[in-house]
Amino acid sequence: MKAVDLNCLVGHWPFRKLHKNTLEDIQNVHRANNIDGGYVASLNSIFYNDPFEGDEELHEILKDADGYHHVLTINPKLLEFEEDIKEGIERFGIKGVRIYPGYHGYSLDDKDLAELCRILKENDLPLFLPLRMEDPRLNYIITPGTIAMDEVKGFLKSFPDNKIILLTAFVSELKQLEDEIKDHSYVKFDTSGLKDTLFSIENLTAVFPAEKIVYGSLYPLYTFRSTYFLIKHAEVSEEVKAKILSCSW
Amino acid sequence: MLIDIHTHIWGPPGSPPCSSETIESSKKDLIKAGEKYKIDRIYVSGLYSHYPDEEEIAGLNWEVAKFIKEEPKLIGGFCYVNPAHSNAMDVLKKGIEEQNMEGMKLWVATFCDDERVFPLVEQCILYNIPILIHAFHKAVGQLEHESLAPNVANLARRYPEAKLIIAHLGGNAYYGIKPIRNCPNVWVDFSGSLFRRDDIDYTKKLIGADRIVFGTDMPGASFYNNLGQVEDGDLTEEEKEKIYYKNALRLLDRRERIL
Repeated sequence: MKAVDLNCLVGHWPFRKLHKNTLEDIQNVHRANNIDGGYVASLNSIFYNDPFEGDEELHEILKDADGYHHVLTINPKLLEFEEDIKEGIERFGIKGVRIYPGYHGYSLDDKDLAELCRILKENDLPLFLPLRMEDPRLNYIITPGTIAMDEVKGFLKSFPDNKIILLTAFVSELKQLEDEIKDHSYVKFDTSGLKDTLFSIENLTAVFPAEKIVYGSLYPLYTFRSTYFLIKHAEVSEEVKAKILSCSW
Repeated sequence: MLIDIHTHIWGPPGSPPCSSETIESSKKDLIKAGEKYKIDRIYVSGLYSHYPDEEEIAGLNWEVAKFIKEEPKLIGGFCYVNPAHSNAMDVLKKGIEEQNMEGMKLWVATFCDDERVFPLVEQCILYNIPILIHAFHKAVGQLEHESLAPNVANLARRYPEAKLIIAHLGGNAYYGIKPIRNCPNVWVDFSGSLFRRDDIDYTKKLIGADRIVFGTDMPGASFYNNLGQVEDGDLTEEEKEKIYYKNALRLLDRRERIL
């Protein structure tokens, strides 16, 4: 079993200094905690007017990194994004696409996002959907849009055949989405938002199949061990822990 | 050793001799967390509404005192006071002298540098007990009387002998730490649901590790939010020990005047 972190990033965050924001930093914290690899996206790409330039930087960083996979950032409101996906597949060997509706200013029922989902399904690529990057109480300079749970419900129902990973959802939000997550054959959620209750893995595995939960840290924006320890020390079977730590579709 | 300086029992208080259902649920969670996470001592205050009346305050402190009696080894208490109440001093005295509590808790009913707080702080100096102050800078949802770091700094400068703890790194460390960095009588806890990778390193850079204490805000937050911040931080083993318990022991020791 290979343990992976589905939600890690390299680059700069424009609102505060990140002290551990390189691939080497991610690899160090992963190695120290027996994580074998990760799905990495570019923080810079969120804010570049052409996100693909951030992904070119990311490719240079990841090209020789065994076990670390490139997740391409796409803003579907920018023209010709389909070409970027094609190039991402051919040049970077991307393993997924990450979007930021809250930062890029569109809703989950946007027609361009629907087109993106069509392309991703055609290429069997998962969509990484962060519900947030930071707690809104800590917003600085800009106020990203929020994603309502009703929007997520509608989105999951509209794209039943797409592979989707919900990132940084709170426990309370996952409870609201319980039916939609259970009914969707290909949706999973990560662990980076499980901050608002005690014993969250124990409680969530009582509600959802372990296959629905994947390990994601949101490192280096968030601390790594805060979510890794949730799984490592959870009172669940080793089999359940292994399922969470090794994402498979 | 591990001391959690900041937890709560949440909910409407029950009626003696029975705790309310929600308070019982908080207590069970805290006891379970204490066992599972090997926490040696958990400090609790009772909270419910933002502007509690006298009856609610009395009930919540009764619940905490009951919890201390039930679990004396694990549980310590902070006496919750609403400074707007005419009986606030009596509540504090009862909490410390009769209910075996070890500190005072201020939440969001008044700013912490409101003049109605002053006599309470003077009494805490006499008792030589710490004051745990909720302070939270929010980009959204700031409450009307919710203290910010400058309020804590004002109080600290007025009462340099008062042992103050600003909770939650003041909400956002970038607003919370600079105002209190030159106040040697202010400690910080990083309790709550936020666990940004760099907050502890930033805080240590500005005020050092001697003024950081471990807290979680359980049961409304995951214990690992806070443990992970220490374990991921650029801290020596000695600094971790200070944060996990040594700084708290110094703060809570009523026999020694550290200021």
